Amino acid sequence: MNELHSSPSRLLSRRRFVQGTAMAGFAAFLAACTGTKSSTAPSEAAASAAAPSVEPSVAPSVAPTEKVVTGPLKFANWPAYIDQTTEANADTGVLPAGSSKTLEDFKAKYKVEVDYEEKIGDNPTFFETIRPALAGGLPTGWDLVVLTDWMAAKIIAKSWAEQIDQENVPNCANNLRDALRGQTWDPNNDFHYPWQSGMTGIGYNAKTLADNKIAEPKKIADLWSIPADKVTFLTEARDTFGLGLLKLGIEPDPAKVTSDDLKKVADDMQPLVDKGLRFTGNEYLQDFGQKKVWAAFVWSGDLASSGGADDKFAFPEEGTMIWTDNMLMPKGAVNKYTAELMMNWVYDPAIAAQIADYVYYVSPVKGADEKIKALDPGAETNPLLFPTADIVAKQRNFQFLSDELETTLNDLFATLSGL
Amino acid sequence: MTARPVARPGPGLRGRLGKALPYLLLAPGLLWLAVFYVLPAIQMFTYSISTGSVENGYTITMSADAYTEALNKFGKQFLNSILYGGVATILTLLIGFPVAYTIAFRGGRYKNVILFLVIAPFFTSFLIRTISWKILLGDEGPILAPLKHTFGLLPGTFSILGTPIAQVAGITYNFLPFMILPLYVALEKIDIRLIEAAEDLYANRGAAFRRVTLPLALPGVFAGSLLTFIPAMGDYINAELLGSPGTRMIGNVIQNRLLVQNDYPVGSALSFVLMAGILVAVAVYARLLGTEQLTG
Repeated sequence: MNELHSSPSRLLSRRRFVQGTAMAGFAAFLAACTGTKSSTAPSEAAASAAAPSVEPSVAPSVAPTEKVVTGPLKFANWPAYIDQTTEANADTGVLPAGSSKTLEDFKAKYKVEVDYEEKIGDNPTFFETIRPALAGGLPTGWDLVVLTDWMAAKIIAKSWAEQIDQENVPNCANNLRDALRGQTWDPNNDFHYPWQSGMTGIGYNAKTLADNKIAEPKKIADLWSIPADKVTFLTEARDTFGLGLLKLGIEPDPAKVTSDDLKKVADDMQPLVDKGLRFTGNEYLQDFGQKKVWAAFVWSGDLASSGGADDKFAFPEEGTMIWTDNMLMPKGAVNKYTAELMMNWVYDPAIAAQIADYVYYVSPVKGADEKIKALDPGAETNPLLFPTADIVAKQRNFQFLSDELETTLNDLFATLSGL
Repeated sequence: MTARPVARPGPGLRGRLGKALPYLLLAPGLLWLAVFYVLPAIQMFTYSISTGSVENGYTITMSADAYTEALNKFGKQFLNSILYGGVATILTLLIGFPVAYTIAFRGGRYKNVILFLVIAPFFTSFLIRTISWKILLGDEGPILAPLKHTFGLLPGTFSILGTPIAQVAGITYNFLPFMILPLYVALEKIDIRLIEAAEDLYANRGAAFRRVTLPLALPGVFAGSLLTFIPAMGDYINAELLGSPGTRMIGNVIQNRLLVQNDYPVGSALSFVLMAGILVAVAVYARLLGTEQLTG
């Protein structure tokens, strides 16, 4: 088992444990993200190191009015998902000015304000805050949002995303890893570019478990032997049920899973719910901070970047769920050009490395690997950034479900959640 | 010569205005209720008997499916609402009555200060107050941490958050002023000489309280109970922040159905069932207490 300890402070770069190998695993991981590119990905990734960085021109073009930088750029993202030196305001989610080098440099370069807010705790809840505006053809108030594959695909399918002007995002077009290109739901990246990729596994507080004489969890099933009111699962139902399927030895392949399989997972979790198990979004970080939770389903980089010294991430023996979060411009985004500049900005390998090296997720940017290694020697052996072949072999993607399966999943999850 | 009919003096502008005055005074309130209560209620009712989706629109099909689902699937959450709302109301009464009594009869010149303290929590938002309970009752919070680690009175696994206790405590705290204020108003109106008269007629203090003070305070008890119980029944913030999936109340389900799942028919049906339930409960309560007592 690979175990990742987080640092005592989020203000410092931390690279304390590092196991495994780098490039091949990483490439395969990305290949697994798409599920279709495994044969071509390794060589592509290995050749990706020296991808060029291209600046878009802000000079007047054929349509000068469209290329005017306007602001403030309203950017909604998940907690602990950009390089930052301070925490976002707990109530508003607003990241204080001066906290993120990536954002500060962007503001200075383009002379525009950026309202970066940690507003996304899980996909469905955030989506419900923008859905009425989108359905009514009104601006959502956001220029740039970061949503997971399945949700991004839904929004794009409904024509609720602004089309990206590729001329404004040359870095994205050039530097997106090939393994992440050609997604069936947006094959030409007309509407999205990935932000980070990651895995869902087990998080736990080693000290609390030791104090209570409980062994550190190695398998998903181990969470069933921890007091249920000290455990949380994710409100992201695909992650929770995906891991639940793995625990029962059922392959979480959307093409093979049946409604009965999902029912088995719900039945397996119900006794925990009866004993006080809760479901949370990204706010599990606060629960870990307050020592309210001893072990949980968590996303791979969070505890390493923003947890306490005793908070660890474990790749469960049964396997992990994988996903990619993507930048989208919701329909009606008022600062569209600035949003495109931001997409282009974070696809500069040096900036991508700066972000990935803080958030401990897998960067979708070609050339970021080398920059990460230069920035943080030893990082190449950190499986969060560069998953090992063993980890990659156990990654599963349980996102794109049939309508029937999705309805069953939502019903079962609502019932489990007492709703 | 025919007598010309003499026009009888009419009621005059003043008289007409006088007759219309009650209606004019009622008009703003009625208009408000019509626009913000009656119309949405009608809209909700039509949703509850419709089928369809947010995207494709709803058609009134007179289907009772939503009501069937509302009644069959969410019995536990309805029960939780009645139980937690009821217990919290009783607790607010038990805590609030002595407070209101003290302010009314023993407050003296500090009366206004104490009343201000009662409503002081309202200067902070409901949400913040509930979140602060989350911190207070946290496993390693200021209450449990010393009891666990310093005094060793509680095992390390003990927690209150996520249990009905935390939820009822939160509701009780948040709605306490709604109980104290009507009780205070009722108690304050009591003529102290009535109690003195009871004591002069050889009633001991307990009997005087039972036979005089308490009956005269009943309108306050009734108003306070309604002001506490009705919103407590529909509350979902306390359950969301202090409870767990097993302690959800019907308000959580309504919020989730309307705002997360976009299941307007079931969400609306649940709202109507809740409304009907509350009306029945209030009617039974009014009957038990005796309506003539309630208007003071």
